[in-house]
Amino acid sequence: MTITATRSLEAQDIEGATTALQSQPDSKTRRYDRQLRLWAATGQAALESSRVLVISGSATSTAILKNLVLPGIGHFTILDHESVSPADAGNNFFLEGFKSIGKPRADEAVRLLSELNEGVEGKADHRTLESILESEPQWLTSFTLIIAHNLHSSILARLSSLLWKDHTYPALMVVRSTGFLAEFFIQFHEHTIIESHSETAPSLRIDKPFPALKEHALSLDYATMDPTEHGHIPYVVILVRALEEWKQSHEGNLPKTYEEKKQFKKGVLALKVKSDEENFDEAEAQSYRCFTETKVPSEISTLFDDSAISPESLRQDSSPFFHLLSALKEFTIQSESHTLPLTSTLPDMKSDTKSYIHLQRLYKIRAEEEKQAFTSYLRASVDDELIDSFVKNAHGLQVLRGRQWGAFDADKEALATALLTSPKELMIHLSLSALSAVNSRGVKPTLEALREEVQAIIGEGVVPPDELEHNIGELVRAPTAELPNMAAFLGGMIAQEAIKMITKQYIPVKGYCVIDLIETWTGVVGA
Amino acid sequence: MADTLVDSNGTVTSSDWKDRFYHVDQILDRPGPRTDPSFLAGDEVKDFLRNNCKILVIGAGGLGCEILANLALTGFKDIHVIDMDTIDISNLNRQFLFRQADVGKPKAIVAAQFVMNRVPGVKVTPYYGRIQDKDDAYYLQFNLVICGLDSVEARRWINATLVNLVDPENPESLKPLIDGGTEGFKGQARVILPTVSSCYECSLDMLNKPTAFPICTIANTPRLPEHCIEWASVLEWPRVHGDKKLDTDDPEHIGWLLSVASARAKEFKIEGVTWSLTQGVVKNVIPAIASTNAIVAASCCNEAFKIATSSAAYLNNYFMLIGTDGVYSYTFEHEKRDHCPVCGGESLEISISREWTVERLIEMLTESQNIQIKRPSLSTPLKSIYFQSPPQLEEATRPNLEKKVSELVPDGGEVTVTASTLPFSLSLLITYT
Ligand SMILES: [Zn+2]
Repeated sequence: MTITATRSLEAQDIEGATTALQSQPDSKTRRYDRQLRLWAATGQAALESSRVLVISGSATSTAILKNLVLPGIGHFTILDHESVSPADAGNNFFLEGFKSIGKPRADEAVRLLSELNEGVEGKADHRTLESILESEPQWLTSFTLIIAHNLHSSILARLSSLLWKDHTYPALMVVRSTGFLAEFFIQFHEHTIIESHSETAPSLRIDKPFPALKEHALSLDYATMDPTEHGHIPYVVILVRALEEWKQSHEGNLPKTYEEKKQFKKGVLALKVKSDEENFDEAEAQSYRCFTETKVPSEISTLFDDSAISPESLRQDSSPFFHLLSALKEFTIQSESHTLPLTSTLPDMKSDTKSYIHLQRLYKIRAEEEKQAFTSYLRASVDDELIDSFVKNAHGLQVLRGRQWGAFDADKEALATALLTSPKELMIHLSLSALSAVNSRGVKPTLEALREEVQAIIGEGVVPPDELEHNIGELVRAPTAELPNMAAFLGGMIAQEAIKMITKQYIPVKGYCVIDLIETWTGVVGA
Repeated sequence: MADTLVDSNGTVTSSDWKDRFYHVDQILDRPGPRTDPSFLAGDEVKDFLRNNCKILVIGAGGLGCEILANLALTGFKDIHVIDMDTIDISNLNRQFLFRQADVGKPKAIVAAQFVMNRVPGVKVTPYYGRIQDKDDAYYLQFNLVICGLDSVEARRWINATLVNLVDPENPESLKPLIDGGTEGFKGQARVILPTVSSCYECSLDMLNKPTAFPICTIANTPRLPEHCIEWASVLEWPRVHGDKKLDTDDPEHIGWLLSVASARAKEFKIEGVTWSLTQGVVKNVIPAIASTNAIVAASCCNEAFKIATSSAAYLNNYFMLIGTDGVYSYTFEHEKRDHCPVCGGESLEISISREWTVERLIEMLTESQNIQIKRPSLSTPLKSIYFQSPPQLEEATRPNLEKKVSELVPDGGEVTVTASTLPFSLSLLITYT
């Protein structure tokens, strides 16, 4: 099945009402309706072409996969050579109780997970990770994403080094859980995001109106205007005009001081001819838009210094994202306003239909012109839909650079900082690291063994905070417990982050995300 | 615990095979450093959880499916579930106990059957109907209630019902209520100890105000595609179809709204009316995904497990999660509201102008963020002011709508506010400015 019918979700402001489908969408679109409202057809397409490898068929692993199979990833493989134990049969919803005992765990899990979504391909693989690392490491790199749950430290280190070798290799999600405590970490080199779904709206550029907008605002004759029309002038127009007049009498400056701002607002309200003109009230409330100059947001201008777009590094085969970013930088330098390209998204405002639609049209035409200008700075061929999306979301672009799994534990300086800024979070992370290390060596996890291990990581002489005893106490209480609720909680968390990584929408977590289900909180350390 | 039993035909029948609870028992066999001293580790707590504890799940939808599966695996064996809905195709992207062939069947029944098939020895008793159908005696039989609902009204109802159940003489009458909710990548879970900690009604002002479009915008100055859709559903549907009720689940009805809204949009040169948007606006569709539901449901069930077993401290009392930008969560204690109409006990003092009409007061009660009573009826201890129903009483009290409140209620007088959707009344003390 294809998903072209769902394009309307994101493209709805492009496609006119006349092309709206008059009949009900196909069954696949209806099935995915509630998620398409979050990541649209582009996100769905990315999910459907993804291939996810999950190492182990544990309760946590199947809980993660459930939340990836339901929204419709393309393919998953479970790598697991174990047979179902009586303990597995009791805590894993994707096994059939005692009926599954003794059967290959990967087969049972794949069979039951596949029932959730016919569109997803599932595969059980009975090899060991050791044998794959020995004989066929390249096989691992054929996946989009690899998720590993409770893997022993030594083999995890080998897997992580392999995947860290090349920046095109898949990201690795490392998950550790015991009893009420857990953590996860995403190892990736670089992750670029166009659709971050930023909650800040792009600037309407009232302080730097484009010529057609300025002309329109100044052409209105408030005095001779019909009173109904006067009560429906959109606030954008009111403010552009008021600000142009202000600038003329203030040497081109915006209202700066508290007094000036008050005076400006008073001036806006004084334009009312009748007290119930809500559009002027709205204009007063929106006056803050006139008090700071529209510039390239600092989060975006920081990206312009990124080494990936330096003339030496940007090549024809660089990713489209960096070609677009480079063009954006050039656009902000060359354009008259030194801002990001205008977007055509206009918020709703008190106005009559005609004035609003006229204003919307002005924005749309100008946005198209600026997009053309932006495109002229592109030094590589980029898909037109991607350009549209980039320009529309330019104010929320993200470039994340990650670290290798384990690098934090070896970074004494970072550990010392975390000890001061986030001791609670750090102690969960280190307790779990210690447990894994102790297990790897085949030593019984006692309080002493764990305490010693943590001390070794943070360094001799460094005094750990009190939380350490709480955490290692919990680990000793239940050293191998994979609780169904923790598995389900992680299943949600990891799948959520996996979806963000695969769709390149929204912003994934950086560093170790730690979870304490006793007091029920989450935190981040080592970002 | 018994080992696996074999019946006369040689098939395995027992559910508690050896090591079934290998994982959970690590927690139940010994306390941790943060466990309350009252915890009775070992067989006693396991026996209570597996043989005596009775838990009610309200809702068998996105959260409900997850909650039922988690509770069953954790060891709860006597689970009841209430849901009044049937399965729709748009549920299948997250409500994982349902399959394509189940579309149209009652959620509670299908979910209960699925969990019983998958997890041996668990009894799930479904009720396909409304929570309001059940009386106090029904709710009194449970040790705990978990709520996974998308309806504010239903939550207010169960919250008030459980607060009213509390009898200070009988500690058993206090039923912990665990409530979860999600929207897209965001969600929350909370523990409510009725009368002891902040209740659902106490936090009503934390809800997002639903988007409401002024009727004059819809009728005269549409600007957004949403305005055209509202015009089609609010004004055109009743005009054309008379008393025939709009069914937002009927594709023909949505199709009709879409074509009417599209025509209006075209007339006003407004772009963006689509099937998806039409459905979204008229059904007030909230984005929903499996992963967020899993997180919130798991934390609800984890609290239920900790409360039922005392094996660890439990959430005090509100966990909020936002997953759009990294993983951001906030755990805090939501405070009780003194004037909470459900658990506060004190009357709410409001000060209004002597000029206010009864109609204006009703409007205020409907709109106020911490009251939000739809269609309220008002009375003083002596007389009726305005009643929404029955029709005869409505007609008899309707003339009061235009009267000033000050003509009907003395300064410092009490007004009782009730609504058919809520099992409690709000007491107002009116003073005049
Ligand atoms: Zn309350």
